[in-house]
Amino acid sequence: MIEITGLRHRTLTINHLTITPGRTFLIGPNGSGKTTLLRLISGIDEPESGTIIIDGNVPRMVETGWVNEYPDRNILFSQVYDEIAAAPRFAHLSCPDTETQVLDLSFRIGLKHILRRNVRDLSGGEKVLVAIAAAIISRPALLVLDEYDSHLDPESCHQIDTILRSGEMRYIIGCTQHMDIAATGDHVIALERGRVAYTGSPSEVFRHYENTAFYPNSWRITQ
Amino acid sequence: MRICLNRVQILRDDWFLSADGRFCEGTHLVSGRIGSGKSTLALVMAGLFSPTSGTIEYEGSPSTMLSLQFPEYHVTGSTLIEECLSWGLDPSRILLNVELEDRPDSDPLSLSRGELKRLHLACVLEQQNDILLLDEPFSALDCDQKMRLCNQLSKRTSGITVIFTHEQEFLPPIDRYWEIREGNLMDLGRSPGDGNQILYYGQKQERPET
Repeated sequence: MIEITGLRHRTLTINHLTITPGRTFLIGPNGSGKTTLLRLISGIDEPESGTIIIDGNVPRMVETGWVNEYPDRNILFSQVYDEIAAAPRFAHLSCPDTETQVLDLSFRIGLKHILRRNVRDLSGGEKVLVAIAAAIISRPALLVLDEYDSHLDPESCHQIDTILRSGEMRYIIGCTQHMDIAATGDHVIALERGRVAYTGSPSEVFRHYENTAFYPNSWRITQ
Repeated sequence: MRICLNRVQILRDDWFLSADGRFCEGTHLVSGRIGSGKSTLALVMAGLFSPTSGTIEYEGSPSTMLSLQFPEYHVTGSTLIEECLSWGLDPSRILLNVELEDRPDSDPLSLSRGELKRLHLACVLEQQNDILLLDEPFSALDCDQKMRLCNQLSKRTSGITVIFTHEQEFLPPIDRYWEIREGNLMDLGRSPGDGNQILYYGQKQERPET
């Protein structure tokens, strides 16, 4: 369980919020505080006041994968292979084991054909896929994805979703502007002006957004 | 007014893109998988990238604007005011328009990506160019802002608008559909029964009167 208590940070005010294991999607207008909250949960920033406890630990003690909303800000190395291999190498895995992990994951994500390319020359969507691969290769307990889907095509979203659903990572917390994706989550948190407006299952949260642009497209068709 | 792609080919190692087609006045949608060449085609159509072979012709000496996929690549000012001025626009009017009027001295790169995209698109759309090339204009925008952009684009009554995108939920009325498949730009023509509707909530809405 992730427990947030008495949080005050920049424009964000959250008195109490719990997040259960599984896939959690954060929704809300641009500037509502989604990235600010994700940075705090991942331990990149520390709150001005209040606490965030993840299974009894502070965020910085939890192994975390992070994907930035600015695709270029994820990249450390020039070649795709080196970028994806970074986490196993930092963990001192042997070269053959690292290679096995990189090849296996790149096959699952559909990146095998670009492993020797320079990351700077990739398309926007390919950069995001590389960042996701680099973040999940070590199967962190917590995976934080900031707008990971805004440069992906539906087929790639589906491939990523299959991996996210595999249960290899205990907590997956992402924000999205695709409400059809948010609607498939275990848990949805809606932020408005730095506060949690609604939290709960997708049906509990989205019933407050009927007749707005934030209602999932697919639900409207089936009704 | 037309953009003619005459046997345009771009070859890069084991990757290629081949495009032959005419883009007439109206709104065009270009889709295709990740890495299929949408952004490359946008650069070629903007005249910023020379194809390996083939030519591109603009009939009617139009003015051209390309909005890149990543709004951060467009930033030249160190404050929101400077950024608006760099586009030759009145900062107070633009910032009010995009609801950033209380942060005129902020660094554009300190904005959330959706806010930066909103500011960038407002500056682009103020320019009233004949040819508007939009690479993933909807990415990072929230649902209300996507809808707002659709409405703004549907009000363009002349010129050529080309939208390169994966977006499927929110789209303005499209006159012609294109797709890049296996390295080839395919003309899919007019989709059945549309051209004057906004796709939204899975329902069709009539194009607003202009």
